[in-house]
Amino acid sequence: MMKLTSRITALLTLAFIAVFSAMTFFGRKRDISPEENRVLSKAPELNAGELYDGRTGEKLDRYVTDHFAGRNRWLVGSSLIQTELSESIVNGVYVSDDRLISTDDKGITDASAMAEIFDSFAENYDGMVYFAAIPTSAGVYGDVLPGHIVRQTESQQINALYDAMDSDIRKIDAYNILKMLKDNYIYYRNDTKWTSYGAYCVYKTVIQKLGFQPNSYDKYSIEHVTDNFRGNLYNRTLSRRPKADLMDIYEYHNGAEVTSCIVVRRDGINAEGQIFDREKLETGDKYSMYLGDSVPIMRITTSANTDKKLLVIKDDFGDCFVPFLLQHYSEITVVDPSVMSGKLSDYVNADDYGQTLFLFGTDSLSDREMMLKITP
Amino acid sequence: MVYSSLLFIYGFLPVSLILYYITPKKFREMMLLFLSAAFCCMISLYFLIFIAVFAAVNYIFMHLISRSRRNEKLSAVPLAVGIIIDLVAVFAFRTEFFTWLHRMIRAPEGFYPVGISFFALGAVGTLIDVYKGRIKADRNMVRFALYIMFFPRLLMGPLLRYRVFTNILSNRSESLSGMGVGMTIFVKGLAKKVIAADNLYMLYTAARSGDVSEISAVTAWLGAVAYILCLYFELSGFADIGTGTAYLFGLKFPQSFNYPLFSIRMKYFAARWQSQVTQWLRRYITKPIYGVCSKRLLREIVFIMGWGLFGFWYTVDLGGTVWGILIGTAVIIESRLLKKKIMNFTGMIYTFFTVVILGVFLSGDSLGGSVRYLFAMVGGNGILADADGFYLVKTYIVLLLVTMYASTDLFRNLMTRTGRNKVKAAVMAVSPVLVLAILMLCTAVISYSGSSDMLLMKL
Repeated sequence: MMKLTSRITALLTLAFIAVFSAMTFFGRKRDISPEENRVLSKAPELNAGELYDGRTGEKLDRYVTDHFAGRNRWLVGSSLIQTELSESIVNGVYVSDDRLISTDDKGITDASAMAEIFDSFAENYDGMVYFAAIPTSAGVYGDVLPGHIVRQTESQQINALYDAMDSDIRKIDAYNILKMLKDNYIYYRNDTKWTSYGAYCVYKTVIQKLGFQPNSYDKYSIEHVTDNFRGNLYNRTLSRRPKADLMDIYEYHNGAEVTSCIVVRRDGINAEGQIFDREKLETGDKYSMYLGDSVPIMRITTSANTDKKLLVIKDDFGDCFVPFLLQHYSEITVVDPSVMSGKLSDYVNADDYGQTLFLFGTDSLSDREMMLKITP
Repeated sequence: MVYSSLLFIYGFLPVSLILYYITPKKFREMMLLFLSAAFCCMISLYFLIFIAVFAAVNYIFMHLISRSRRNEKLSAVPLAVGIIIDLVAVFAFRTEFFTWLHRMIRAPEGFYPVGISFFALGAVGTLIDVYKGRIKADRNMVRFALYIMFFPRLLMGPLLRYRVFTNILSNRSESLSGMGVGMTIFVKGLAKKVIAADNLYMLYTAARSGDVSEISAVTAWLGAVAYILCLYFELSGFADIGTGTAYLFGLKFPQSFNYPLFSIRMKYFAARWQSQVTQWLRRYITKPIYGVCSKRLLREIVFIMGWGLFGFWYTVDLGGTVWGILIGTAVIIESRLLKKKIMNFTGMIYTFFTVVILGVFLSGDSLGGSVRYLFAMVGGNGILADADGFYLVKTYIVLLLVTMYASTDLFRNLMTRTGRNKVKAAVMAVSPVLVLAILMLCTAVISYSGSSDMLLMKL
């Protein structure tokens, strides 16, 4: 009896291992995972140097993990099990019925070093510099996180950064605007970023600082382009506990039109860009519907009856924000330092623009390397 | 590569099993050595070279001792040199005093020879045994190399004496039912590591994240209990995975942990906790000293020092040593004070609490910090419980109760000692499915990162 049980155990488990190992070995390998919205790792090439210090082993480990048979289903299962076993935290993301919240303590760690970068930009620049640091969803909704996840609140981080920055830079207090509106749909449930509505609410203040009257909400016609958006926090957990998100396009009628939109792609080639790239809604990277794929530079000219030009230096938070600015400027250049390969000055001459707006989420304000690209 | 990774379970393990079983019986030991070399190579080629050189050096010294054995004084020289080399190899990587040596042997950045604490002890023990004439120096290089780098015991696997290992190797019997037993142990160990230990680790870090002078007594207790449970599940989990893997190749390794946490006396805890290592220390260090100590008090001091050494082996700092000394002292005090009879239940509670409280010293970074932490555990911060503590209790209570149950021998006794055949038959019938289900569960849990390498200590 004992022996029989052992034999059955051996056959069952070893067969299971054999099947999944064969499926992993011989199964079709994908390059990207739409569910996780990332590029999957490639098979390591054998080379003596990497074998010598152990990188081959690590790469092989990543490769098997990324291409493990039925990875997505395993991940969904993992998410369900993990929330039952202990805390509702899966891969550093707090899972609740209302929303997913990142628990990473990644914020503005060294405010004065960061501030120095922006100060040096402002010193060498003739126009006016405006700065908006945008909290992530964890900054606005973080108070539901368990108390042991100690983190400096994002309002403290932003205040520290603003205090350290030169007084010539005009700072915009996005945090308190958003915090006040936290009962509205200003952040996605499944992403760290704000919704178009959140962006609109901050736009109203920003555009006044920039010297214009904001367009009122009822002038826009709002189109829900998808009700099935799951963002970067979903990509990390594959948890479907919160509802999927809506993505909106705010269209301003009877206003200025976009006359041209040229992007410099990552490979340095110029191409036609789009403000709203609806084809992206069919992919795993729906958020790129705003302004399309991340590119270092996007030059937008409009038929607005003005000669004012604006330089926007931003991260992903800016993608759904830029469309609101189009009514006020005849030319806007949007710069994304995260995908820029060289210095800012390699791409644009900042002094051509009377105003520069920095718009960053607190999560990318920790990336000193990236920000150094904007210094002259 | 760690055992608790997809690459090992679904890549290395099936491939090595196939290669092993298609090899004719005569060459299977060679095959095991080849597989172990491949395992080391997947950690890094440098590690393979390191461990091969380590094995070769020990092989040479073993024969030098054996050759010069007729003259005892002469043979002590290679023994001493060999032991020093082995110990330097351990301390070079476990402490920070030997960074010059890393440069000298051109170790890649961040190189750590996994399992060095285990295989170095094994090598030292073998040298002493040869010196004492307990075993003959083995001419078989394959076996000796296999003893050092056999992959199922490389990472925290059971520490075995050379003769025990070679006996197991010679008497191996490959069978399907043996593989079933192996898979059961393997999956048990995997679950211990990725389900129990990793989640307890989360509780431990959560409880320890606050400032030690502000945390409430409840949180402090949770942290201490989580630490000791996590340590137990981590060490015994890895040992089980290793033992289970060895079973798959027909090698029947003994167990390292015999449900120590809920023993009814400290004495039994001390005997059941990682018994291979404590036995090693007894055989090679404390027992020879006992021989020259006639007084009971002296023997007791030697016993306590032996445990201090064991604690030092864990952490290589003062905290671990103090932990070992305190455990040893507790055993001695118990043997002097405690009457023969004690109720099982009371004994269990008292042992568990002693182990948890002393465990604070093992986990702390400094002695002062550990004392501060103990102070917090008795409510010294003036807060018995707060919202954080309640949240942690609420979230982790199921995990804690289940893992505490799993660290007792109740379930095993239910299976082995029950007189009722119906219970036995039922357990037998569901166990294959249960093992498979737990394997799937563990696979899901490690599927995101592909491995689970959170470790309380690097041995």
